[in-house]
Amino acid sequence: MGKLWTIIKREYLERVRTRWFVIATVFGPVFFGSLIVIPAYMAKRGKASTEFTNTIILDATSAGIGKKVADAMSVRREPGSIAPIVRVVPPAQLSQAESTATHQVMRKQASGYVILDDQTLKGEQLRYAGRNATSISDMEQLRATVRETLLAERLEEVGVKSAKVKEMTFMPLRLNTERISDKGRGGSGTVSIIFAGVVGFLLYVSIILYGQNVLRGVLEEKTTRVAEVVVSSVSSETLLAGKVLGVGAVGLTQQIIWVVTSVIMFKLRAPLLARFGVNTLPFQMPDISVGLGLLLLLFFLLGFTFYASLYAAVGSSVNTEQEAQQAVQPLLIMLVATAVFINPILMNPTGRTALVMSVLPFSAPIIMPLRLALGSVPWWELAASLVALALSCFVAVWIAARIYRVGLLMYGKRPTLKEMGRWVRYSH
Amino acid sequence: MADYTVEIENVSKRYAEHVAVKHLTLRVPKGSAYGLLGPNGAGKTTTIRMILNIIAPDEGTIRILGAPFNDPRITDRIGYLPEERGLYRKMQVRRILRFLAELKSVPRATADKRITEWLERFDLKTPEKDWGLAKIDELSRGMQQKVQFIGTLLHDPDLVILDEPFSGLDPINAQALKDTIVELKRRGKTVIFSTHVMDNAERICDSVCIIARGEKVLDGSLAAIKASHGSRNVALSLEGSPANGVAEILADSRLVNRVDDSNRYFEVEMAEGANPQELLHRIVATGAIVQRFELVQPSLHQIFLERVGARSRSPGEEAWAEGVEIGMTGHG
Repeated sequence: MGKLWTIIKREYLERVRTRWFVIATVFGPVFFGSLIVIPAYMAKRGKASTEFTNTIILDATSAGIGKKVADAMSVRREPGSIAPIVRVVPPAQLSQAESTATHQVMRKQASGYVILDDQTLKGEQLRYAGRNATSISDMEQLRATVRETLLAERLEEVGVKSAKVKEMTFMPLRLNTERISDKGRGGSGTVSIIFAGVVGFLLYVSIILYGQNVLRGVLEEKTTRVAEVVVSSVSSETLLAGKVLGVGAVGLTQQIIWVVTSVIMFKLRAPLLARFGVNTLPFQMPDISVGLGLLLLLFFLLGFTFYASLYAAVGSSVNTEQEAQQAVQPLLIMLVATAVFINPILMNPTGRTALVMSVLPFSAPIIMPLRLALGSVPWWELAASLVALALSCFVAVWIAARIYRVGLLMYGKRPTLKEMGRWVRYSH
Repeated sequence: MADYTVEIENVSKRYAEHVAVKHLTLRVPKGSAYGLLGPNGAGKTTTIRMILNIIAPDEGTIRILGAPFNDPRITDRIGYLPEERGLYRKMQVRRILRFLAELKSVPRATADKRITEWLERFDLKTPEKDWGLAKIDELSRGMQQKVQFIGTLLHDPDLVILDEPFSGLDPINAQALKDTIVELKRRGKTVIFSTHVMDNAERICDSVCIIARGEKVLDGSLAAIKASHGSRNVALSLEGSPANGVAEILADSRLVNRVDDSNRYFEVEMAEGANPQELLHRIVATGAIVQRFELVQPSLHQIFLERVGARSRSPGEEAWAEGVEIGMTGHG
């Protein structure tokens, strides 16, 4: 037991000390922070930027629609931005007015200009030129504003009172979603989808990262022959267990740091967002109970042990990095195949695919936690997934330990599957 | 029981394709330097791995320090240096040594003290530079070998097993290693080392076991082995290039059984019943200047060639004496 601890300690400390670990650990919170700020910032931009109203309206219609568009734009005006300027232009002088406006935009006196002509009145086309022409939200806002104004104009033509028109056309319809689970209503639908996606992705990434880490560690010990020295002091099973546990602890440490900093950031998101000029809170905290947290942890541990021991078996059976990259393909295919299904299962978490992939050992450690994060899962599905995973974990460790014990001391030719099968059957 | 550190009794180990060790029996006396000699692929490493309980024998018994080989307590009393050496490349020297000591249940404080002593002794810690704080891959190959050797001895083992310890060592490090082996032996430790360099074995070993093709060819104390191989050998040195006629004399099968010709130094095995005096006469008669003419016991190298080489000449078995020539590189 003391020696197992020695091995775990070495595996853990040597990894935590590396620059790679520090970078990856810092990257997590930065990534999560940007996940909070960027969508909020984008949503804010979605309300149109300050440039939106800093526009010259060239009104070539005789209907005086320009003034009305300007009024409608002012309703959506951001505080502190410049109001639109309206120029009524006879159609013959339009091209000259356009070039004047172009120069003004070039000298930054305005963001752009919009041309209202007869075709606009007919509801056919609207032209805009400006610095913010690539801003999807600004352009969408402009189109909506002009469309609303024209609609109001037409309604007035058929005799609707102007006060009534405003009431009728102004409708900033917002869609608020809410999820219903077995426990009743709670949380917003998108939040739990994002949360589940993050859980699935995180598990996938950390299993690949730390599985590869185990493989590289085993290969290093084998090629440098350190393994022989260590195995003369402890059994190969102890070395394997120490390696898997040590590397697993590194992964867990990193994720705990990620989760803790993310939760702190989430709690502090109001002041954080205020710094970026966003005053509303775009989403609520997903509801994570202690039970769910423990289940996620359990799935990570089982999944990691399953894959890490297989990675270790691969590492012990090859001699070079190149060979390792080839030999590891089947494992990668299993992981990538699972990742491919993350999105479909997010969309349909109770379908047949989801059910099957929750029980298959190679996908269960990613798919089941994802479904758990998404909402309630029938208890028997959860139990089936856990039992299947625990059993296959046991089998994987058993096979891996046998391959590892023999492979670690075999140099030279890469073994065939048949030979590896024989290694597994060796009784000692 | 206590007189032997290692007792191997009728041990065999088979692999899928071949038999690595066949019915091997050998005893390593306590406090001796023991040489495990044999050509490449003879089963030396397999034997060592079985002693270390890295692999288990298919049949037979092994007792180490009076206990069964798989007794977990004895691993802390064995130090092992594998044939091909290496350490965790990115790890600090001190940390790696502390790790190796901890694997042998040495308390942290004791380990730290011993590490400092050893580093100083091997010039890895001098007032100018402490290599103990460097990473392994910053060290030269020779320094890495020293570190690994320290790791083998940190827990003050009663049995030290060195697999081909001299391969790849420069003369200075080889000398340091030799000195350390002798010192260990004087302190009552048992040292087993495998080699195919007979010169080293001859200089250091009390007892040897020669194995080839997984089977024991001969074993016993060096003195007894030499005595049993007679004293019909002559060490002959000539000044300058050998004069004409010397080659013919040495090729005379009535006089000479076999000769190991190293250009100016010859190890001559006399033919049955031949008189060494006659050999000296005839060589002097050619005009060659004799620097040394001495009746000697056969060298271990000669015995090895005779016992392993002879068997390799039987039909279809040429291949497995190839390790012998490599033995020549060990001279000096």
